[in-house]
Amino acid sequence: MNPEPFLQLDRVIHEKGRLAIMSLLAASPRLSFTEMRDTLNMTDGNLTAHMRTLQEAGYASVTKAFQGGRPLTTYSLTAQGRKAFTTYINLLEQIVEQAKSRK
Amino acid sequence: MESDWAAENLRVIRTLMERSAIYRRALAPITLLAGSVGTVAAAIGWFAKIESPRAFVGFWLAVAVATIAGCFLLLRRQALRDGEPLWSPPTRRVTQALLPALAAGLICSAIALFSLGGSEEKTASIVGLFCLPLGWIVFYGCAVHAAGFFMPRGIRLFGWMFIVGGCGLFALGIPDLPRPLYAHGVMGLFFGGLHLAYGIYLFCTEKRKNEA
Repeated sequence: MNPEPFLQLDRVIHEKGRLAIMSLLAASPRLSFTEMRDTLNMTDGNLTAHMRTLQEAGYASVTKAFQGGRPLTTYSLTAQGRKAFTTYINLLEQIVEQAKSRK
Repeated sequence: MESDWAAENLRVIRTLMERSAIYRRALAPITLLAGSVGTVAAAIGWFAKIESPRAFVGFWLAVAVATIAGCFLLLRRQALRDGEPLWSPPTRRVTQALLPALAAGLICSAIALFSLGGSEEKTASIVGLFCLPLGWIVFYGCAVHAAGFFMPRGIRLFGWMFIVGGCGLFALGIPDLPRPLYAHGVMGLFFGGLHLAYGIYLFCTEKRKNEA
């Protein structure tokens, strides 16, 4: 089996929590902090830490606004993040395809 | 094995992407509000003797506007409480799915409202107090069913109840009942009773889900 695709997997996205976050953001133009936290059953601290990592990698951007006098934090994927996510999915598909072709 | 792990990851990604697109607002308070308004409106319509077809159409259009406004306020309150945007992508998708069938119902109502005055009394009564309420029920069912593709399971079945119920009543034909009683009764049964029943069901299931 060619190990190449596996070695190329993006380590930032590869972590389980961040992969889940990237999956949610890839399907929606933007999501609020609470939407993501509740959908993924994460703690505030955990989600904040993962979001910081994704922001530092340039994969996610944050928007802070106010709604009805309350702060509203929303996140979205950057173009770079979307590209990285697509590449990650393509690599996973390659791994699955390789396994199928060997059978 | 890497390939199993990769396939499993792809499955998880797909599930999460689908979940991200689902409308998440609690529907129990909204259906309970709509059901209460529908039931009370049917009772008011009957006891206040709103019997002319034009008055019936105007009355129920006003009830619809009031209900939509009430539901909007409830949704806004939920969004503020949860710290989520009101006009989120799932909300937009649900609204877009609801609109065509609701617009068709509104257009038919507007045409009826303007043309009923000039028509023969019997025709006006059949159109305004038989065809229109059943048409509204079917259109509403179609709207709910369409929105159900972006909502949790169960909503589409609720839509089907309206579609089948409305079409079934059409098939049964004009009943031997005073037409205003029939019209208000049918509106109360579907827009009041069915919403209340579904709201109670949702209230119990959403509460259980939150506790779990």
